[in-house]
Formats: sequence, C-alpha cells, structure tokens
Amino acid sequence: MPFKTNALARVGYLACMLLLFNCSLFAQKTVTGRIINNADKQPISGATIQVKGTKVATQTGADGSFSINVPQDNNVLLISVIGYQNLQLPVSGRSAIGDIALTMAVTSLNEIVVTGYAVQRKKDLTGAVSVVDLADAKKQPVPDVVNMLQGQASGVSVVSSGQPGQSPVIRIRGFNSFGNNTPLYVVDGVPTQNVSDLNTNDVSSIQVLKDAGAASIYGARASNGVIIITTRKGAGKVKVSYDGYYGRQVPKGGNVWHILNPTEGGQLLYQAQQNYNTLKKPTDPVQALGSPIYGSGATPVVPDFLVSGTAGGVTNTGGFAAGSAAVDPSLYNFDLTGANNYLIARANKGGTDWYHEIFKAAPIQQHNISVSGGNDQGSYLFSLNYFNQQGTLINTYLKRYTIRSNVTYKLGSKIRIGENLAYSAIQNPQALSGILVEGSAIGMAMRENSIIPVYDIFGNYSGTAPKGLNNPRNPVALQRNTRNDRGLAGRLFGNVYGEVDLMKNLTFRTSFGGEYYTGWSHSFNTPDYYNFEPQFKSPSYTETSYTGNDWTWTNTLSYNWIKGDHNLKLVGGMESYQFINHNLGGTTLGSFSIDPNYVNLSTGSGTTTNYSNSNPQINYSPSTTGYKAPIGSGESLVSYFARADYTFKEKYLLGATFRRDGSSKFITHRWGNFYAVSAGWRISQESFLQDAKWITDLKIRGSYGVMGNQFNALGTNSYFLYGSNKQTTYYDISGSGSLGYGLSQSQIGNPNAKWEQDGNANVGFDLTILGGKLTISADWYNKSIKDLLYQITLPGTQGAATVPAYNVGRMKNSGVDLMVSGQTNITRDLKFVGTVTFTTVSNKILQIDANGSQYFDLDGRRFNGSNIIRNAVGHPVSAFYGYKVIGFWNSQAEIDAADLAASKASNGSVTTYQNAEGVGRFRYADVSKQGWIDNNSKTFLGNPSPKFTYGLNLGLDYKNFDFSMFLYGVYGNDVWNNIKWWTDFYASFPGAASSKTALYDSWTPTKHNAKAPVQDAVNGSNASTNTVPNSYFVEKGSYLRAKNVTLGYTFGGNGLTKVGISKIRAYLQAANLFTITKYSGIDPEISVNGMNGQNSATDFGIDEGAYANPRQYLLGLQITF
Amino acid sequence: MLVLVVAALLINAGCSKGFLDKPALGSLVGPQISNTAGVAALVTGAYAALDGQGQSNTAIGGGNPWEASPSNWIYGSVAGGDSHKGSGIGDQPPIVPIANAQEIPSNGFFNNKWRALYEGVTRTNLVLQTLAISPSVKAADRSEFAGEAKFLRGHFYFELRKFFKMVPWIDEKTTDFKQPNDVDIFPKIEADFLAAIDSLPVNQPNVGQANKWAARCYLAKVYLYEKKYTEAKALFDQIIPSGYGGTGAGGVTSNNLPYGLTDRFEDNFDAATKNSKESVFAIQMTAHDGTNSIAHANGGDMLNFPYSQPFGCCGFYQPSIDLANSYRTDAGGLPYITDYNAHGVANDMGLTSDKPFTPDNGNLDPRIDWTVARRGIPVHDWGLHPGFNWIRDQASAGPFSNKKNLYWQATQASFADQSTWAPGSAINYSVIRFADVLLMAAECEAQLSNYAQAEIYVNFVRARAAKPANILYQYLDNTKPLKGFSTTPAANYVINQYAPGAFTATTALPAIYFERKLELACEGHRFFDLARWGIAAATLNAYFQFEGQITGDLTTGNFTANKNEYFPIPQAQIDLSNGKLKQNDNY
Repeated sequence: MPFKTNALARVGYLACMLLLFNCSLFAQKTVTGRIINNADKQPISGATIQVKGTKVATQTGADGSFSINVPQDNNVLLISVIGYQNLQLPVSGRSAIGDIALTMAVTSLNEIVVTGYAVQRKKDLTGAVSVVDLADAKKQPVPDVVNMLQGQASGVSVVSSGQPGQSPVIRIRGFNSFGNNTPLYVVDGVPTQNVSDLNTNDVSSIQVLKDAGAASIYGARASNGVIIITTRKGAGKVKVSYDGYYGRQVPKGGNVWHILNPTEGGQLLYQAQQNYNTLKKPTDPVQALGSPIYGSGATPVVPDFLVSGTAGGVTNTGGFAAGSAAVDPSLYNFDLTGANNYLIARANKGGTDWYHEIFKAAPIQQHNISVSGGNDQGSYLFSLNYFNQQGTLINTYLKRYTIRSNVTYKLGSKIRIGENLAYSAIQNPQALSGILVEGSAIGMAMRENSIIPVYDIFGNYSGTAPKGLNNPRNPVALQRNTRNDRGLAGRLFGNVYGEVDLMKNLTFRTSFGGEYYTGWSHSFNTPDYYNFEPQFKSPSYTETSYTGNDWTWTNTLSYNWIKGDHNLKLVGGMESYQFINHNLGGTTLGSFSIDPNYVNLSTGSGTTTNYSNSNPQINYSPSTTGYKAPIGSGESLVSYFARADYTFKEKYLLGATFRRDGSSKFITHRWGNFYAVSAGWRISQESFLQDAKWITDLKIRGSYGVMGNQFNALGTNSYFLYGSNKQTTYYDISGSGSLGYGLSQSQIGNPNAKWEQDGNANVGFDLTILGGKLTISADWYNKSIKDLLYQITLPGTQGAATVPAYNVGRMKNSGVDLMVSGQTNITRDLKFVGTVTFTTVSNKILQIDANGSQYFDLDGRRFNGSNIIRNAVGHPVSAFYGYKVIGFWNSQAEIDAADLAASKASNGSVTTYQNAEGVGRFRYADVSKQGWIDNNSKTFLGNPSPKFTYGLNLGLDYKNFDFSMFLYGVYGNDVWNNIKWWTDFYASFPGAASSKTALYDSWTPTKHNAKAPVQDAVNGSNASTNTVPNSYFVEKGSYLRAKNVTLGYTFGGNGLTKVGISKIRAYLQAANLFTITKYSGIDPEISVNGMNGQNSATDFGIDEGAYANPRQYLLGLQITF
Repeated sequence: MLVLVVAALLINAGCSKGFLDKPALGSLVGPQISNTAGVAALVTGAYAALDGQGQSNTAIGGGNPWEASPSNWIYGSVAGGDSHKGSGIGDQPPIVPIANAQEIPSNGFFNNKWRALYEGVTRTNLVLQTLAISPSVKAADRSEFAGEAKFLRGHFYFELRKFFKMVPWIDEKTTDFKQPNDVDIFPKIEADFLAAIDSLPVNQPNVGQANKWAARCYLAKVYLYEKKYTEAKALFDQIIPSGYGGTGAGGVTSNNLPYGLTDRFEDNFDAATKNSKESVFAIQMTAHDGTNSIAHANGGDMLNFPYSQPFGCCGFYQPSIDLANSYRTDAGGLPYITDYNAHGVANDMGLTSDKPFTPDNGNLDPRIDWTVARRGIPVHDWGLHPGFNWIRDQASAGPFSNKKNLYWQATQASFADQSTWAPGSAINYSVIRFADVLLMAAECEAQLSNYAQAEIYVNFVRARAAKPANILYQYLDNTKPLKGFSTTPAANYVINQYAPGAFTATTALPAIYFERKLELACEGHRFFDLARWGIAAATLNAYFQFEGQITGDLTTGNFTANKNEYFPIPQAQIDLSNGKLKQNDNY
C-alpha cells in the first residue's frame, strides 16, 4: 500500500520550508551537516532537523545532508527520523557540523506499518497485526514468501514439504472454512492468492492482519486472514547489491521405512503361510509353503534370477536359480509392445534400497542482483533473481527467473505516480501423481520388493513382472520417465498507481493492478511392461496450457484531520475485481518413435483428445479431475469501503471499518456487509504509570468484527447446468462404435448461496519494557464462523451431478498468539537478540448441516467403504476416526468368552463379538459399552492439528561475526501413518515389500507381546487387521526442528571501500539440521494431502510417502557496492 | 469541484451494468435443451448411464469402475457362487464379505452401486421433466422419448429392487429427494414397462435403442420376479416365436431380427457378432471410441482378465470349481443336477505351471470351455491356459480364469482397448438375451405345471449348446495359437437334450434352475436367481462348505436366510436421508 506517510510528510515539510524561506530571511545563519547511521555509517535521508523551540525545520536529502537556517548561535537542533533515537544537538556556533550519527531506536513503536488501505504507526494499531521481522525471516533458503513465514509470526502456521515448488500450506489462526483457507495476500495493494513466484529478496515488509479489526476492511476475502506485502523501494544514492548462495541438499539416510531384505522377505512369506496353517479352521485348505519367487521347499530360497515371459511356447515367471534353462540370456527379448517380452533380471540379494534409488543429494542455488536509488524526484529499484532447486527426488526441480522494476516519480509537489511490476518465468515439474497418495514414485519405493534390481541384465528397467512380487511399479522408472517432461509458466504481477494531494490532508489515490499469467507443459509416458500391471500399454503424450488474468482497480480518498490532541484519519474507496482463466490441452496415444524430440500432439499415431474450458482451476482437465463437465466462469467483485482511525492524546485509540461487497458467485444474496470496530488504550501514557520507568509502553487492545468468505463457491454455484461428456453422457446407441451425443445434468444450482460470515473477537496487549529490550505482544481470539459454504453430499436419489456449495456449516476457533522478543548487549561487542512466537489453535465444528448429516467422512484409501477422516459436530476438522486397538486376541478361549458375553448383552442377536475376530488379530475397544463391536464402536482416534506451534529465533553478534539459529516446533498433533498399511501387514499386498516390524515384531503363537498383528498369508486382510481404519496407524506427530543455523562474517573497512565495495558478508548455513520427534516415518511435517494430491482443510494429516524436507548446507555471499 | 472529480474517478468499471453477472461457460441452461434435439440428447444421456461408468475411470456416482459394473459380476456372480473374487485375498477386500454373505451396510461398494443406479433414474426423470416443458417436441417423438425413458427407468429400478428390496421411488415429479423406502416399487416398475410397451416402436433406427419387444421381455422378467407366472406366460407366449415353442409370431430385435438362438454360444460374448438375433436388450460397448478411456468398453469388468501379460491385469472374476464341476455330463449327456461335485472336473489346483497336468477327459458340456478358462485348454486364440502362471493366487481363488469377458487376440486391435491400465473390450453386456427368455419362460411354464412346454424351452437351449459350432478344438500348433484350430476337440464333449417327459413336478424346476446356472454362468444373474427361488441359503452354504475347503477366500462364508437374499441399504444413504430410509431386515 503506497500511502507512504514519510513521503507525504516529506512533501509537507518541504512546503513548510519554502514558506519559511519567504518570511524569515533576516538574522539567520546557515548550518550544514550530514546525518548518518551510527551502525553502518550510511547516510539517512528524510531525517527531520528542527530548531528547538521554533518552527524552523528541514529534512535531509538522499545523501543525508541538510542545510538549515538557525536564528541564533546557541540554538539546539532536534534531529528525528523514524526508526532512530531522537538526538538533541547544540549548534554551539558551528556552521558546518559534519557527520551526525544516529543510533537506531531499540523500540519499534514508531515503525510505520501498512494495513488495509492505510498506514499506521505501530503504537496506534488497534487490531491484531503481526509485523514480520524480515531480517530473521530472510535468513532461510526458501524460494517463497510463505515458507519464510514459518515460525516468524504468531498466529500463522506453515507446513512445507521437500518438493521444490510445492506451495506450502499456510493458515492464519486455524481453520476458517471447509475449503480454501489460504489467506488473501495484498502485494503493493493488489489482492491475490498466489505469491509463489514473489522474489523474497524484493520484499521490504510483511504484515499479517489477523483479527477483524485489522482485516475486515478486506471484507469479502478477509476471513482467512490478510497478509500485506510491500516490495522494496529505492532510496539514496545508487546501490548495487548481490545476494546469493549455493548449497547441497541431503535426503535422510538409512533404511527409512525399515524394509526387509530379500532373505527376510522369504522368511516373512513362510512365517505368514505357517501362521495360516496353524490358525486355520480344520476344514480350510492347507496352504503349501513357498511362492514363485522363493520356491516350494521347506525353507525359502532366494533366487539368483527373476524371469518373466514366454519363449518357445513356455511361460516362465518367478525366481530361478543360476544355470536354469529359463535364465538363458539368449531368450531375452524386450519389446515395447509388450507382446513378446522375455525379461531376465539378476535378483538383488543384498536388497535394493529403493528410497535412495530415487532420493539423491541435490544442489540448490540462488542469485539476486538489485540496483536501487532515489532522490526527491523519485526512486527506482530493479532486481534480477535466479533460483534453482533440484529436488532430492530425482527429476523434480524448480527453476525460476524473476525480474522486478519498482519506480516512483514525483510530478511537482502534489502528484506522485509509480509502478511495481514483476515478471517471473518458472520451470517446475512436480512429482507426477502427487505425493502422500498411492501411486507416486515415493509410494512405490516403499512397496517395491527389495529383491528387484533397478535394471535387468540388459540394462532395461526391471520390475514386478515376474510372478510373486505383486504389482508395485519401478519407482526409478516412474521418476526417470518424467525427465523429458517440460513445462514453462510465466506471470506478470504488479500495479501502476497515482496519488494526488487534492488539498491539505486530502489525498486521492488510484491503483490498477493484477496479474497476467500463462503456462504450458507436456508429459510423455512410455510403455512399462517390466511392471506386472503396466500403466501405459502404448506411448501416451499429454500437453496442457493455460492462460488467465485478473485485475483489481482501487480508488481511495484519504483525509487526515489533526486538531490539538485529536487525530482522525478517514479513508473511503471503491474497488472492482475481475478474473478469468482458460485451459487447453489434449492427449494422444501411440507414437511411431518414442524419441522425446519427435513426439507431440500431432505426431501421435492414435486418437487425439482435446479439451478447453474456463475453469478457474489452473491446469484443470476433464481427464484428471473429478469434475463432471468442463464448466467454468469468470468471477468478479465490486466493493465499497471506508475506515476511520481516531486517536486522542495518543492514548485513546479507536478504529472502525466497513465494507460492502458484491460477488458474481451469488445471485439472491449478492451483497454482503462487513464491519469491525476496535479500540486501544495506551495505559503507559497515563499519569499513574508514568513513574513505572521500566515500562516503556503498554497498550491494551480489543476488536470485534465480521469478515466474509466466498472462496468456497464456484463461479457457477448458482446455476442449474446441463452438459455433455464423451465418457459419461455419450453412448454408442447405434452399436457401430461411434458415440452418439448425450446430455445430462452436470450441476445442481444453489441461487440462494451467500457469504460465509466470520464473527471475530480479539483482545490483546503490547508491552515494551526496559527501554525496548523486551517486547511482548499477546492476543486471545475467538472466531465464530457461520454459513460455511460446503458441497454437502446429497442423497444418491438426487443423482450424481456436481453439488453446489450450501451455507450449512458452523465452526469455532479460539487461541492465543504470543510473541516475545528481546535484545541486549551482553558485552560491548556481543549482542544477543531473541524472539519467541507461540501459537495455539483450538478448532471445533459446531454444525455440518442442520437438515442432514452430523458429519462427513473423507479419504478411504484402501479401506474401501470406511474412511480415515471424520469431520463431525463437536470435533475438530479432519479428525481420525476408526476402531481403537486395545491388544490382541491371544487365544480362541478369549474369543469364545467375548462371543458369549456379546450374545448375553444382545439377548442372542449378536453371536460374534467382533467382525473377523481371530487369534493374533486386533481386539478393539468397546467404546460404546454395548457389549460387542460394530459400527457404533468406532471412535475419534486423533487430531492432525497441533495444540500449539512455536518458533524460536536466537541471534548472537560478536564483532563482525553473526550467528543465528531458528527452531520450529509443533506439539500435540497426530499423524496417520498409512505407510504401515503397506509394510506392516504381509497380507495387504503379498509379495510386495514389508517391514522389519512385520517379520520381527508381529504376533505369533509363541510371541504375544508384539506390535503388529499376526501375519497370515491367506486370512491376514480383514476387519480385525487392516481393512478398517484403526488406531494402529495413529502416531504422535510432535516435533522440534532446527530449521536454520547460520554463521556469518562481515568484511568491511577502507580496503573494500577503495574498490567500491561497501560491504561483504559471507555465511554458512544449515537448514533442517536436526529434528526431534517420536514419529516413525521419514518426516513428521506432513503437508499436502487428499486423494487428488490437493491440500484440503477437511482432509489432511495422512502420510503415505512424504516428500521429506531435506537437510541443506549452504554457502552464501552478500555484496553491496 | 475536486470532490466532483474524485467522485467521477471513483465510479470505475465495477459500476457498469452486469459487471457482476458472470454466465457459466461450457454448459447449457434449461431453455437451451427444451426442444427435440435437447430431449433426444438427454435420452442418449440416459442410455449412457447403463454402463455405470463415469469419467476418468470411475463409476458414474463415484468409486471404482467395477463397483457399478452393469454385469453385476460381483453382486450376481461372485456373491452367487459362479465365481471367486479372484486375485489375492487382500486385493479389493470389500468384495470378500460380499462373496461370503457377510455384507455390512457400510461397505462402500453398495453405496456406489446405489448412486450409479439412481444417477440412471435421475437421467430418465430429466428426460420426462424436460419433455413436459418442451412444447415444440412433436407427438410421435414425445411418445418415443417418454417410452425410452420409462423403459430405462424401469431397468434401473428393477436393478435397485433386486439388489436392495425396499428402495425409495423418485420420479419426474419428485422435489424432495429424501423419500422413505416403505412401499414395494414393483407396481411402479410394471407401470413403466407397460408405458414403454405402449410407446415404443418395434423397429428402431439404432440397434442400441429399446423396442416394444424388449419392453415386453423385461416386463415378463419383472412378473417372474414377482411370481406372477400367469401374466409372465402371457407375455412369453407372444415373445417366443412358434418355431421355439411359443404361440405367437414372436418378437424381434431393434434391428428387426426375429428372436432366436445363435448357433455359436460364443457369439454372445464376442464383439464381432454383437447385436445378433439373440440380443434382446444389450448395453452397447465399444473400444477406441475416441475418448482414450474405457468408459464405454466394459470399464466395469476391467479387472477380469487372466493375471498375466499380455492382458496386464488383474486376475479377478475366477470361475469357481463348483461351477466347473456343474458342466460334467453323464453318459447320456445330461448334467448331474444334485451331485455334480461328486463328479468333479479335474483341475490343477496346487500345481505350478511347470508340473505336468492332464486335462479332464470325462464327459463335459461344451459350454464349460466358453465360460471357464482352464489349464491345458485353448483360451480363444491366446494359447493353452498355463494354469498357475495366469492365476494371481491359486490358493486363494482357485485355478480358473474367466472366458466370457475375454476378447480374441486376432481381433484385439478392433475390440480391445488398452488406453487404460487394465483392458477394455467391446463385448456387449446382455441384460436379457433370448436364451434367458427361453429359460424364464420355462420356469413360468413349470410353475404353472406345464412341464412339457418347459422342457421344450430348456431343450432348445441345450440343443444350441450341442451344435457342432460349440465344440472347442485343439490348436493346430500349441506354440502358434493364431494359426487356428485343428479338428480334434479340446475335451470330451457330450451333451444331449432331456428326453421327452423327463420334466415332472419334481424334476422340472431343479433342471431349469440348473440349466440357468450352466447357460448364464458368469453373466451376473446367479445370486438374484438363487434369492428369488428361495434356495440361496441352502445352495450357498453348501457352496461355502464345498469350495471353502479348496480355496482360501471363502473361509468366513455363512449365508443367513431371510437376510442375505438382499443387500443392505447403504449406511451412507440412510445417514443422508434424515432417518427416512429404513434398513432391510436383520442387517
């Protein structure tokens, strides 16, 4: 937001000065000097020099110099500038004072912060605003602003993954809706939901508006919180700086999933078969020991070769010993059509470490150059950024090029114009099928049996094609096959603006901004007959592109009225917004050549499909998402807003905002009104606290207001729509093989949808003590959200058309945000700074649907029919739900006793205590106390949301050395470790990889004190082991992570200055150095989730193969010329 | 003055009229489809719901494609003992309780089948609703559209009725979709088919469209399920040509072929010969339809191929040993109706492919080798079945593979579709084929004590099976199966018709029931037949007893009479109905 009061003030003072020149030309003496920063000796522009006791004043120019007419020799100059301690300097007859060093103020109370359509001094704030300390935040080697915020602002939670370019999940004060919880970013006054390509080096300030008092002015889109980002402006003489680092990222080592080696795999197979034979009913068939891989002897034999194929009419599949006729290399044939394959691979008896076949150490680097400067006629900043992160998962990367140009001009004293524009070009192929879901390369790496080598005897990929290895896909091949995939996205984002001072204290501002983006990508899949169930039987080429734009036009009028102790600021304005996105793409099957340089949509030999739509979801294509039809629409908003901020004697503070929004997404209830009131009382200014010298400043604050949300309704939400889809509404009615045109209802409309409403109360205080050495800011909040938009599940009798969002839900969030920061000089040279942020969130669903279900379940994975997640009234979102394991059935007698008791309790109607009960299987808790286990016995098993999160920044400066450390932790959350489903139950996918737990720590007739249930080759998959969600999969997810440790050294002095360098800083940095956790998976930081790989507010916390955050070691250099 | 300037500036683009009106793009709204072309497209859309397939390899109402397969291979054949689930026991575990009569209401398969069928109902209702507000549609078209919609609605409701027994009735006038399931909907199904008979023509321009005769056949089937044998017989007498023992001229297919049995049994399961005279009403399937998907290519049966390359997936739907044994014939070429398992057909259970095995050399009904793919016998033109190597987990699901679902190698370029990870095929699914009509008619006659007439009908079905066209021959060269077949039968096929007078009050129904098993095996009918005959508990518990001692996937099998004859109302739907839906008895 470009209401730069310092700029305004500067203009005002200049005007004053001109007037003064005119009226007091006599008996004066000119005094000159230069104001510099005591710390870095750089000039300070915009400092005010006033002759004490008079109205004579001036300001320093860009070079820090000033010249002022002093009436008398013995005058005293008052020197003040925001951010520095004021200084009183006697002139003492001098006419040239030389350099005057100002010390930076330890208190930031006068800091100017940008809030909604206004700027305020920090001490005047009445809303809950987190001002991010960018010096700390920028230390992390992260590519985007959102990652930078982790642990740096109280009330903000950020969860990231190791995948380059994957948007981290950010939430401000917990959950505000069942859908989109991404805050609104306002970058230089332009609202957006995407800041992934913003160059972090370009950021000059970040404010997080957390309560209604601060955010409600953004009404329609404020409910998720608002993050105000201002990019840098130039100032002073020309400054060129370089900032860069190069580093190495290292994945976690060791046997991360505790996978068995091939010998142990055979032992588990035999154990599972023997368990079955021991425990089976007498009438059940006996299982012969062995498998096509391990033979049929009395003990498993690890084969020398793995073979699959038919040669000479003989089919060989499975494991074979060296010397067997089946392993004759002359039989080998690799055929892309899969028709005549005869594949031979040498068994990897040592065991393939699939995780480290796809996760490798990888480089990361960033280089940033900026040129900036400014004078009283304007300022400029140009920057160029190159970021290149290779993912630790092979063939994933993020390459990004960003250029920025921020320019301001002053046209006379009353008109200012400027622009802030950035263009970025991004190459970022993400792991294909998403992560944390079945089917990804990571998911396959934990499933592919370790006996399989990566390559066969002729260097082609090996896989599960030989019988007995089940159906995972070669994870190396999955990732390597993406190496020729390409994509490029470009985005122009920014605004142009103008400001006019219409009269004294009345300013008009207009800003037109937004984004234009476009992107393209293609992927090519080649046949994978080395896998048992080939995914691609013929080459498949897919190309997609998208383009879109949105714009926001904001006009505001600001008025500042000051009289005596009264200060009133008024802002009124209007804003309009429009958005449209278009997608285009197609797929073709078959290709004469699989040379990646040959293949495109036109050279495919098979059918080519194409699609286009105006869906707001970028890269949405009908073949990859669950949407019923390629529907879409543009979106628009119109808003009127006003705010008033009043202070009396700088002690009593009042604020009020109002906004009226109209949205194209709603018809009947198109317009919504949102308001907030807030008040603050700076008690420290009261006389009764004046004597408490240790209190520098104390303010208590409170606010209440209502914010809105419309993100969760599609643009077409209101309409009843009909559409066609070749796969679901076309039909070969002629029986000729050509489809006839068909239609069906594609969407049910809800013209009565309206805004979600978030009633938000906040109470807090800001305390500064010991002259600014310690500041504490704390807030308690309560958010009551009603009319939550949610696509409820309609009864099946209503058909399968897309369901619109209805205003059905209610939810409550409350919590505490706390931030404590301190700084002190331990010795003259040793400085210490520390900041602690602490955030608690307590979330409870109050209503799902007053007229319908009291819960909705999500995410079934392989638990077909029952889901892991239940969102229920009275519980937090995304709670884990299922049966609670209380031990094992250790004998048939225990089961018989339970059956008898169940029969008694049910008067004979229930004869089986627990479905699929059996010796060695889980025994579930009878939580409903009914005497037997059924659907009513399920219970809430965990909550993926932490009880609190915390960040700890510690900094030590000693002479030219600087050291900092940032720790981040979450406490009290649970993780659903679904990896265990694949690895800890032999029967889940027999023949695929299993864990040490399955072999060494599972129930057997002789080992009852175990972790996992009995491994049973035939009856191992059932409702008393792995086919229903149960508490076996729930683990504690708390962790404390050293996100960042940095040691830097700054070179300075005359030697450098001579060659034109003012500063060089070099640093060593380690990110994610260590993590303290009890979680057994690779990384407790579980982010993106949901069956489509999409983040979801109502379905998260499930780990099915995380792209773990790697450890990073960096060497960085900062040079300023 | 300044204020005026500002005021003018403040009025920016957002104030222009209609700025907040954003139409839906890529969709149609009501007025655009309220005409003849629109209603015709809605009718096609209703037909498209027959295959239960949505887009992107999902069922039409959500879930996996196979959960809503129109072939009912899970609910009719696996649940009915025709077949095992197949694959390994841990693969698609929700099918295991269905195969073992241990269904629970929260099983998501039932919910997805329910949703798919009601999406069909919704599409037919949409036709009728739109017709009512489309005055421009001519009377003849109006009648035709309404007839087709009601035929299809009758079909979807009949499926719902036979699955779930008590289901809510939703028609084109319903506005509250939370309706109770407290009324038997059979009368409404009858009404729909009666209306369809009235409206539909005999000949249709498209073979996929239902005609008047298809509606009559379907109504007769409904009557049979209602045990209204007299009403059913009246219709069957019209439907079945006198050449087949009927009393009338007989019905014809939509493409005007008089109803009859094809010489080759396999013609009903081969895409090259679909829409024959035997095809009363079939769901049209097509491969390579331009969608790069198998949504119209039997997507619901994509798992049901031998577990090996060249099929790639997935070894499900393995015929049971009990079924294979049923094809044993005695010296007279007749089946062992009561003790067929005592005359078992040799199989390779427990043998790996490298161990020698000699196929059964006893008397067999030739239909076995068009239904059950078994070791050592040609599997179409794919080669001899190698046994173990084509079975994912023999110990779990037995030694056989499915054949009726299988396309031929020689014509796979046209009739198989490899655009998805599992194969699709262009083999139609016959909702009703004429052999089924004859056997249903036989059942009616027997119930009405017309045993001789019943026997005539059954013998027609057996006579077709006995035709030389149904003998499976050995390959000319076992290593080159595409070279064709020799003149040496692959097995010892012996089949005969029942001798005149063989059908009596005690023998007729068991023989008819058994003939349905043999003829219609693995076509999704068996469970529903057993349930309506009232012999499901006895038959299936015997099956669990027998088969469960051979394979590992039936160890929990136990059928509870007066409960498991119907599947449970999906718990999810009960929850969504605000308590209006009531669960079936004993669940």
